[in-house]
Amino acid sequence: MCKRATFWIAMAVICLPFQGCNVVRISLNTTLTPQDVAFIVPGETTLTDVVTKLGAPDTLTESEAGILATYRFMNLKYSRVNFGWVAKPWTPVDPDLIFSRTGLAVDAFQVAFDLSWVVRHHAFQRKLSPSPFYPYPF
Amino acid sequence: MDQNHSSEKRGITMKTNRYILLLLLTVALFQGCAFSRGTVGDTITPEAVAAIHQGSTTRTELLHLLGAPDRLFQLNGRDVLHYYRYDAKAGSLLLILLNFTRLSIKSDDLFVVLNKEGVVEDIISSTRTNGLKFRFWPFGE
Repeated sequence: MCKRATFWIAMAVICLPFQGCNVVRISLNTTLTPQDVAFIVPGETTLTDVVTKLGAPDTLTESEAGILATYRFMNLKYSRVNFGWVAKPWTPVDPDLIFSRTGLAVDAFQVAFDLSWVVRHHAFQRKLSPSPFYPYPF
Repeated sequence: MDQNHSSEKRGITMKTNRYILLLLLTVALFQGCAFSRGTVGDTITPEAVAAIHQGSTTRTELLHLLGAPDRLFQLNGRDVLHYYRYDAKAGSLLLILLNFTRLSIKSDDLFVVLNKEGVVEDIISSTRTNGLKFRFWPFGE
């Protein structure tokens, strides 16, 4: 009997942080990895090859020595826990004790082409590893 | 005869009950579900893209085909017309105590490079929104 009660108390304690919990994820375009762009060889790969494999870039801009194509992608992770839910059944008011955290991983892959649309060089703008779902803000 | 009739009737009732149970189960599973969608821009149809020919389509024909571009800029002295369309699909699983939401945004882009004579020199296009699905699970890829 005592064992069963301990089990249920332990379960309730484990479940408490998940009450009033929100998990949101927003992703813009498909994340490109170094493996996805490994086929690009400067001086050989053309714009057509790049577009065939990666699709059209998000932006094309002029640079001093040619054209710059940029592929943008983003990952946003948001998690929120409202510990006020624990007190809800026992109080006449609607209490809130919210912990939330947002992690934004913005990255871009840039490919520079010469005037005949052949790749000159390529690089990731930033290498941000996406933050985990972790609502603790401190 | 009567026994056959009553067993047939019982069979139909059981079947109906099973359908009602299945319906209730389906409704129960989909309660607290939300589907949202947002789009920006007109659809760039493959037919319209196929109608653009490198070296022959003129600026006037292009504008007649696709309308005014969303963006116009210059690239090494050549005009580039950019047409785009954004599609966003969000799926939410609202389980009262625990809510999951996932929003996926993708774009279709078409760049048409015109030479100094106003004739199409290059076409860069891709459709990313075709594979866009409503997703609920925020974890993983």
